[in-house]
Amino acid sequence: MTADALTLGMPFVLARATSGRAPKKPMDEAKFEAFYRKTARPIWSYIFRMTGNAATADDLLQKTFFRFLRSNPSIADEDHLRRYVFKTATNLVFDHFRESKRDRERILDPKGPSNSDDLRHDMMRAFAELKPQERALLWLAHVEGSSHEEIADALGVKTKSIKVMLFRARKRLAGILTKRGLAPEPRHA
Amino acid sequence: MPETDPFEREVDAWMKRFAALEQSPRLPDPNSLWVKAKLMQSAAAAERASLPITRVQVAAYLVVASGWAALVTWKWNALSAWINSFTPTHIIMGAAGEQTAHSLSLTFIMALVVLASVTVMLAFHTILAEE
Repeated sequence: MTADALTLGMPFVLARATSGRAPKKPMDEAKFEAFYRKTARPIWSYIFRMTGNAATADDLLQKTFFRFLRSNPSIADEDHLRRYVFKTATNLVFDHFRESKRDRERILDPKGPSNSDDLRHDMMRAFAELKPQERALLWLAHVEGSSHEEIADALGVKTKSIKVMLFRARKRLAGILTKRGLAPEPRHA
Repeated sequence: MPETDPFEREVDAWMKRFAALEQSPRLPDPNSLWVKAKLMQSAAAAERASLPITRVQVAAYLVVASGWAALVTWKWNALSAWINSFTPTHIIMGAAGEQTAHSLSLTFIMALVVLASVTVMLAFHTILAEE
């Protein structure tokens, strides 16, 4: 097990695992609030784009931070904590899909789109055609700007596989966009 | 798979547009999340602490139930005769001085008293623990 894997699995041992220094104090309420204000919105967006349901995103966001706090985090490296939270959110989303087994049907908000939301609706539909893992891959890579290693950590796959998985996911999304007429106009040189 | 991904630029642009779509989540208050998480941690700790007690309680229920089953099986004939003796006829005959009621052995009565006491204590413990 690498130090990174250790830190992702147990953020509270981060300081000792990576630097050999004495473990820092557990995160207090003020630090948690600061961390939450920075990360909650991106996490919510990630969960919402993955599930397509705002209520589910609200619920899973809360669960993500409950799990985070239960792990008794200590602030050593905010980036690691952020990765831990994304990994937790990913696991919860995948668990949610496994539990419901109806992700394709439940992907869109039950309220349905209004006319003004047509574009959003089309984009959500197109994204929903991807498999959950492909959605996570593309979101983490293109929106969060995560490295292959970070994506591999979040999804629990080998880093080496990410390049191929990303290629396939992009190809599939491009195909879906073309089929739905959502692909951008080709640029002329 | 080609060295350069021909879909990367197209997908990247689309994903950025997708991510930029207007959305206004009502995020929960971090303080309430903190308090809830602490409460959940306390509840989980209490549950962990009471786990051995719960296990002993379940074992006690099983022991008491087995005790009653064994006692009733052991002296079923005497017990059923004793219960059947509580008819109006037998009571009147008993009042008239006739020896009609079946008697139970002292050992059995002692075992009955002990088991009944344990059952009552266990019931009280369960009720008080619930409260």
